[in-house]
Amino acid sequence: MVRVTRVGAAYLVRRLAVAYATLLVVMTLLFVLLRAMPGSFVSAMTTPGMTTAQLARLEAAWGVHDPLWVQYGRFLLNYQTGQFGWSPTMHAPVADVLARRLPRTLVLFGAALLACYVVGPLVGMVLGWYRDARGGTLALAVSLFVYATPVFWVAWLLVWLFDHRLGWLPSANMVTQFPAFAPAPLPVALDFLRHLALPLLSVAAVGWVGAALLVRPAMRDAMRADYVDLARAKGLRERTVLFKHAGRNALVPVTTSAAIALAFLVDGAVVTETVFSWPGMGRLIVTAVLDRDYPLAQAAFFLVAVVVVVVRLCLDVVYTYLDPRISLGGRDE
Amino acid sequence: MTGRAADRDASAVSPRARRALRRFLTNPLALVGTVVLGVVTCCALAPDVVAPHDPEWVAYVGTGDGRLTLAQSRSLPHPPAFGDPFFAPLGTTASGHGVFTELVYGARTALLVGLAAALLSSLVGVPLGLCSGYYGGWVDEAIQRVVDVLYGVPFLPFVIVLVAIRGASTTTVVLAIAATSWLNNCVVVRGTTLSLVRRTYVDAARAAGLPAHRIVARHVLPDVLPVAAVLLVQDAATAILAHATLAYLGLADVTTASWGVLLQQVQATGHVFDAPWWLLPPGLAIASLVAAFYYVGHAVEDVTGAD
Repeated sequence: MVRVTRVGAAYLVRRLAVAYATLLVVMTLLFVLLRAMPGSFVSAMTTPGMTTAQLARLEAAWGVHDPLWVQYGRFLLNYQTGQFGWSPTMHAPVADVLARRLPRTLVLFGAALLACYVVGPLVGMVLGWYRDARGGTLALAVSLFVYATPVFWVAWLLVWLFDHRLGWLPSANMVTQFPAFAPAPLPVALDFLRHLALPLLSVAAVGWVGAALLVRPAMRDAMRADYVDLARAKGLRERTVLFKHAGRNALVPVTTSAAIALAFLVDGAVVTETVFSWPGMGRLIVTAVLDRDYPLAQAAFFLVAVVVVVVRLCLDVVYTYLDPRISLGGRDE
Repeated sequence: MTGRAADRDASAVSPRARRALRRFLTNPLALVGTVVLGVVTCCALAPDVVAPHDPEWVAYVGTGDGRLTLAQSRSLPHPPAFGDPFFAPLGTTASGHGVFTELVYGARTALLVGLAAALLSSLVGVPLGLCSGYYGGWVDEAIQRVVDVLYGVPFLPFVIVLVAIRGASTTTVVLAIAATSWLNNCVVVRGTTLSLVRRTYVDAARAAGLPAHRIVARHVLPDVLPVAAVLLVQDAATAILAHATLAYLGLADVTTASWGVLLQQVQATGHVFDAPWWLLPPGLAIASLVAAFYYVGHAVEDVTGAD
């Protein structure tokens, strides 16, 4: 049976407190940052033809002239009760816009994460296994070089090859804009997958290296272990020893460092979605900031932070359950 | 710091240092990394010597008495072109600047961003990590809770907002990058310090009545430095990549020559598919410099065993 005693109540409370404090800090940061931005909160809603009376009414409705602490208190209260306001550029409630955008990002980056974490550890195992072989250093050098390329540049090269040159895959948007096929489930799904392919490929093309680099040093310790000698002595094939015996044990650092992957994905989301016009959260943040749509920018940023904080919280609790040596914050002391 | 360490204990340290240096120099990754860094540094220090033109040079303009033929003036702004006609070794951009010249002049920005962000995050992260690991108790609690909280702030969105506020100057970009990259330094240095503080020589130093700052500076810091060096190099690499990414999003200073801005202009002028001589070199330059930092970092790890 599952024992839950390893994760104590005190630990959970402490972890939850940190998560909550993180969100409070993010909210405060947002409040300060967005009020420091050029233009006022209502500047995206004004048009040049507005009279001063109209402007004053608009500003009064949005409470721009209230004392800062009143605005801050109202902001905290609204955000914690799920009131995100109205987006002046999208002409829709912010919550609706976010609810539409978030799943699209999660689909793309869930798939990308899966791809990275299937390919990366396998390559890392091989890299670690042949660490001292002649090709080992070259393979490491190539992997690091791939890791060093800007994601958007790789994406352009892939678009050039697969869309512009070969014409195999579409490189913009999430679905075909004016489809020639019937809106039946299967063609729509296939169309979506075709649109998913290139963004997925460009994130995965760079992202796998991160996981590989975590596995590679762990392989060295695994290779020195007695069970590897035993497996060899039993006459098992080299490949079996590599992947089944040494490799499995080198996977530990990958599972405990998902926070790094998370950071990579958030950054990747912003860039990749911009390159491929993928209508997700990352692109939303960029366009909202550039369009000075402050209610939307603020809420989108907040939602990304919430996702990050919640995932980190879950990961930490799960790891503490799996491995009692790991302490608060997912670090090994 | 290494200089002072060498003075203090010349007989013990210098053979070790010499051996480490030899191992570093025979490491192929280190060699490649150092050569690339050397080339980029030369470009950064003396771009006017390396580049065939000054950054203001534009194809066509300034030839002879400055008068253009009808065909030439009709084609302005000049379509990007490849090859020697304009004495631009890697061809020209849409605005007529030489790609190679822009590359050479962009080296300074890349190196500056990388080193400044890395130094800043080390200057913040390493002392805090040392304090956190050495003192423990409430100091550690306080610092680590701050780190935990800040880890929850999404990096790139944060930088985008910061740059939107303060304007896209290189200083802002560096500050924004350093504001998040010090966290990793702090956590790793704390871990190393924790394991060092339990050693007997630290106990001995404490028993001898040395003040804390002296123990940290003399007995803990020297063993933290290799780790800090690896982090410094990695931070430089990530900072350069982050700067390129920001440039792509249109959030970098377009008035200074930089590789990211050069790439962004490829897209802004719509030449992604038809000007490979312009699209490829900046990307390769960024990747080479970042990879060089990674290579040096790996070599330092190998040599010092700071895996």
